[in-house]
Amino acid sequence: MEQLTPEVISELAKAIAVAGKAIGAGLAMGIGAIGPGIGEGNVGAHAMDAIARQPELTNVITTRMILADAIAETTGIYSLFIAFLILFVL
Amino acid sequence: MSKKKMSTKAKIQLTIFLIVYITVGLLNAKLMTAPPSEALKNIANRWIVQFGPTNAWYYRINPMTVIMSFLVIIVILAFARSVHKEFSLIPSRKQAFAESLMDFLYEIVESSVPNEKYARSIFKISMTLFIYIAVSNLIGGFIPGISADVSIAENGARTVKFVLFSDTWFPPTGDLNTNLTYAVMVFIISQYFAIKTKGVKGWLKGFLEPVAFMLPMNIVGELAKPLSHAMRLFGNVTGGGILVLVISYLVKYMFLPPFLWAYFGIFSGLIQAFVFSTLAIAYMSSQIEG
Repeated sequence: MEQLTPEVISELAKAIAVAGKAIGAGLAMGIGAIGPGIGEGNVGAHAMDAIARQPELTNVITTRMILADAIAETTGIYSLFIAFLILFVL
Repeated sequence: MSKKKMSTKAKIQLTIFLIVYITVGLLNAKLMTAPPSEALKNIANRWIVQFGPTNAWYYRINPMTVIMSFLVIIVILAFARSVHKEFSLIPSRKQAFAESLMDFLYEIVESSVPNEKYARSIFKISMTLFIYIAVSNLIGGFIPGISADVSIAENGARTVKFVLFSDTWFPPTGDLNTNLTYAVMVFIISQYFAIKTKGVKGWLKGFLEPVAFMLPMNIVGELAKPLSHAMRLFGNVTGGGILVLVISYLVKYMFLPPFLWAYFGIFSGLIQAFVFSTLAIAYMSSQIEG
């Protein structure tokens, strides 16, 4: 067991900071990826129902479905942004 | 059943391309041995120039954004100029492409805004936004070009190196300033339309609906719209960029970045431009009624 000199303490502090960053970024992106998956699955399911009911509107429905997908993706992008902020800036 | 065979010339080109690609990939895999935390240290740093006495936010500028914005504007103006010289009744390909693009967005505007007087102004604003953001995302997408690599020393000094053949150009929408400016602009325009249609008293009374008790929630809802409007675009462009760089570093550039960019740059960039302009139409037209 070596002495707790200031260099050892500062190295330990840096190691704890790196560990905190890793856990924070992992949790931020991991939990944040649940929402958009479920949301966009719902959007796709209802779009399929609508296409099955009226096949002549396929193009219009596909355009609106992609539009709704991009809006549902927003909170997933927020958590990606926070994960990168934690990893690379802090 | 007859299958379409590739001509001999196409086969030769494909073979040469595959040989070059695999050779470059293997060379990269041998030569890049630094761990990712070392090589990817400078992803999030920006080149900031300070032209005043202190370090306040109004004395700093981001020259990369300014230069790339002018570049995008010049590209769009050059394309528009080359179409403008040859307007004819039977359209050429470039003219047909431009006309079908404008027609596509004009139908969306017309179906959202019943009032004819405001439809043309809203169409002009959102069409400009759509073209600018689409070209900017495509430039930052899959075209290799000049970019800057900024490293921060221990005492806070930034040293900037220009890389002549880096992965991408720097897209102007990759900077939060650009996106926030556009979102605040759309917000101010929508409030101005509300005042012009309903008068100042009508606009202020709109905040008290349906119950006077809902005033804080209405205010927060109004202020949260530009924020999410800007963050969506910024997160897609910059987050996609960092993600592609990290992935291509982990597979040691076996997949060269321009091929991964084909998803984030082209597909996601065009969709985000369309979503931004459609939401701008929705925000601006939600205050106009009757």
